[in-house]
Amino acid sequence: MKIEIKKFGDMLMSRPAGREAYLALSAYLTKGVDRKESLEIDFGGVKVLAPSWADEVITPLAQEFENIKLLNTENSTVRATLATLREYSDLKI
Amino acid sequence: MEWCVSDSPSDVPENYYCADRGEFGARIDNLSADLKSGGKMSDDDIYMVAAMVGEIGNNSFDHNIGNWPDLPGVFFGWHIDASGAQIVLADRGQGVMATLAKIKPEISNHQEALKTAFFERISGRAPENRGNGLKFVREGVKTTKIHLTFISGDAQAEINQDFEINPADKFIRGCLAIIETKKYEN
Repeated sequence: MKIEIKKFGDMLMSRPAGREAYLALSAYLTKGVDRKESLEIDFGGVKVLAPSWADEVITPLAQEFENIKLLNTENSTVRATLATLREYSDLKI
Repeated sequence: MEWCVSDSPSDVPENYYCADRGEFGARIDNLSADLKSGGKMSDDDIYMVAAMVGEIGNNSFDHNIGNWPDLPGVFFGWHIDASGAQIVLADRGQGVMATLAKIKPEISNHQEALKTAFFERISGRAPENRGNGLKFVREGVKTTKIHLTFISGDAQAEINQDFEINPADKFIRGCLAIIETKKYEN
């Protein structure tokens, strides 16, 4: 399955907003999905991704799903945020 | 500067004050639009500046929620001219050292607190991962080649391609951040 991050907005900042997004996608998108299923996280169309938002969404998804592929990560804030999470939040993807 | 160093909060024009996150987020959109119409920065750099501003300002809300010493919220203003932009964020919160002391009590001064905030892996309210946004900010400053002055307590960090901490001229209980987007190539 694919999660299009831009559907949560194109300026993604703050932990409360991230937590809300994660709760929504847990309830409506990933609920009941086999944790071994391949999950694509698509950052296409995102202008600003900050680590506080991503740490509430991407980090827990990476802990839940075994097969995650990140798509369209060219945006500078997406790249920098993922690098920060890998270094400081144990993000393994 | 006066707003964050005075004993009691002085009046600040409404358009420089964000009482809550919603207002703060909306004003980041305005800043991005103003930087874009300034025409001096690439979209990539504008987005990175917006992300850094978001991390700094949201830190104020994250680390002071329910615990503001007097006035909640952040001062958030900017000035854009031909030479670039100056963006100012400030809060009247507890400051970096008081926030970090809860999880790292061995921190003994404000300079050490700033070094920890910008370099060390920390978690503000276990089991949540918190407080790592300033590492992102430090990297963002490097890649966009801008300059950040960050003051908390009696410590002042100057961040561009280098990182330097000195005593601040004035004691600030909360935090004051000044971003200057003029390119710094040192």
